[in-house]
Amino acid sequence: MNTVIEVKNLTKTYGKKANAFTALKNVSLNIYKGESVAIIGKSGSGKSTLMHSLALLDKPTAGTIKIDGVDSTKLKGKALNQLRNKSFGFVFQQFFMNPSDSVLENVTLPLKIAGIRRKKRHQLASDALKTVELTEREKFKANDLSGGQKQRVCIARAIVNNPKILFADEPTGNLDSTTGDKIIKLLFDLNKDKGVTLIIVTHDEDLAKLCDRQIRISDGTIAEETKTKKGKK
Amino acid sequence: MSIIDTIRTANHNLFRNKLRTFLTILAIFIGSFTIILNSAINSGVNNFIDDQIDMIGGKDYIVITKAGAMNSMGGAMMNMGAGTPIEYDENAQAVSFTKNDLAKFESIDGIDASSIDRQDSGTSYTYITSEKTSKKYQGNGLGIMPAGDFTIPMIVGDIPDPETKENLIALESGYPKALGYDKDEDIIGETVTLGIKDEVTGKVKEFKAKVIGVQAPGVVAFNGAAGTKQLVKEVKDEVEKYYPEAKRNTYYAITARFDNSKYTESEIKQILEDNGFEGMTVSDMSGMIHVFFDAMSVILNIFGGIALIAASIGIINTLFMSVEERTREIGLNKALGMSNGRIFAEFSIEAISLGFWGSAVGIILSMIIGNIVNNLTHQPGGILEALPTFNLFNFTIGNILTVMFIVMFIAFLAGTAPAWKAAHKNPIDALRYE
Ligand SMILES: Nc1ncnc2c1ncn2[C@@H]1O[C@H](COP(=O)(O)OP(=O)(O)OP(=O)(O)O)[C@@H](O)[C@H]1O
Ligand SMILES: [Mg+2]
Repeated sequence: MNTVIEVKNLTKTYGKKANAFTALKNVSLNIYKGESVAIIGKSGSGKSTLMHSLALLDKPTAGTIKIDGVDSTKLKGKALNQLRNKSFGFVFQQFFMNPSDSVLENVTLPLKIAGIRRKKRHQLASDALKTVELTEREKFKANDLSGGQKQRVCIARAIVNNPKILFADEPTGNLDSTTGDKIIKLLFDLNKDKGVTLIIVTHDEDLAKLCDRQIRISDGTIAEETKTKKGKK
Repeated sequence: MSIIDTIRTANHNLFRNKLRTFLTILAIFIGSFTIILNSAINSGVNNFIDDQIDMIGGKDYIVITKAGAMNSMGGAMMNMGAGTPIEYDENAQAVSFTKNDLAKFESIDGIDASSIDRQDSGTSYTYITSEKTSKKYQGNGLGIMPAGDFTIPMIVGDIPDPETKENLIALESGYPKALGYDKDEDIIGETVTLGIKDEVTGKVKEFKAKVIGVQAPGVVAFNGAAGTKQLVKEVKDEVEKYYPEAKRNTYYAITARFDNSKYTESEIKQILEDNGFEGMTVSDMSGMIHVFFDAMSVILNIFGGIALIAASIGIINTLFMSVEERTREIGLNKALGMSNGRIFAEFSIEAISLGFWGSAVGIILSMIIGNIVNNLTHQPGGILEALPTFNLFNFTIGNILTVMFIVMFIAFLAGTAPAWKAAHKNPIDALRYE
């Protein structure tokens, strides 16, 4: 199996001196191409920190991260931006939308950054919104949507650029179980049909069990790694 | 991200907080407005002076003084003081011409000896009156047509030929009406009376002169009425009657024509300098007038500049607030792969747009106001009624574009600090920002 992300002895310390707080201690793990991984753990255990490190949004204090075999410290400037823009998809724990822009505009953002022409990106964004069943809300201001709808817009934005790796921080956190199930189905369809690698941060044990693997974080270290038996899901 | 998208996004962001943007633009507008109006008036006045000087001609006219005397002469010509005070010299006679000087001067190559005029600059009379009125009017000075190929603009008639052995005069505009003639042409051929009052005895002596022309008004027109040498000499002798003998026939300045097909202005001035004289041409004199208006312009531009500095602080403030407000958005953009350069560009374009709108509004409004004022001054009763070709405010594309460019550049400079701050935000810190 191909390793897409390889983490060795990752340590992340926030702040300095008296205020220093080590959110991740000596974490080592591999993410393989096309698999689905759940990162689970209590609130404040360091899940989001780990996800941000894996996605190269945050620099490790110590240890190494390799993406497709390339050391993260070598990925700078344009290469790093390209990676974030073309290969990664993000669903953040908070929505991060431009509230005064239309839903469609919000979804097109990664494409706009990529420099894709207006017509093309509107088409792609429409398609993504269709997948999350928000076609009729395209023209709405992002602010005028419900929490669950906003969550779905964020997912549409994360998949609009056909990412190779999708990072999702609590993607079902704001959804009722029916809508949540739909989103989960959507993510796993992407995983199965398009081979998108899924990295899902959650404290929903049921969602975690749907993934190929579960990495349990406790106080900044990996407490347990489990695999789902084939055929169970 | 494409350039078009960057510009579009920047402008979109700019008008998110409309009130704040409006106030910043207002500040920029005030600065641009002052500067553009000021440069328009400066260009209008300078244009007018150039026009007038071109019209009058006199490209071969030169005023000569002894070396070292020009400082005070220059001041006198501009009617605005001598500038640097000149130390008093007991041997002050040195600045006037001696007989030797004159002989030497006449022999200088390039100077037309026949044109040399030692009459000094003219004289003055106390009042003027005519048979048609009992009123007397103050005189503005009396001189002869200077040497040089001048064309003094006339309403009617001519400037007297200095050599004519008759008392002829060409009045300034306005005098015919005051002297009781409805139309300017009615006074041609009529006789006017010039009065000279002796300040010591209080006695008045009157001279008669025949009017043969009326001068057109103008900024750089002939200063005073123009007469024949004969008339000027009679009046001058009366004025100087009680002057000590030594003072009567001294000349501080001589006018002459120089051969401007042979020597340029700077060459003839160099030749004169080598001979211990100083020359001043028409362009030197107009240069002085320009210097005066340019100096005024500098002062006004300083006010505009101060307004722009204040506006820049407004831009810096607006953009810093904008960066702060949009911290999470910046974080998101970076997380989604936007480069530092693009983020810097986006904020810089916002700053430049502020400059653009501020200066554009400033230019449009100053053009409207400038044109209204131009029209008003040309209306009957307006201050420039008599000078239909003179536009007080002259807007040129060059001026407008320069001001716009400068304002936009200042805005860009003001925007660099906030833009740099935005571009170098750490995406995660920005995303965690509450
Ligand atoms: N910038 C920071 N400075 C200091 N401490 C931080 C910073 N960011 C995170 N932390 C700390 O690191 C720890 C891990 O945070 P993280 O966001 O990874 O938690 P989490 O597991 O995602 O929790 P949750 O489930 O509530 O989202 C927390 O205790 C948090 O207070
Ligand atoms: Mg979290």
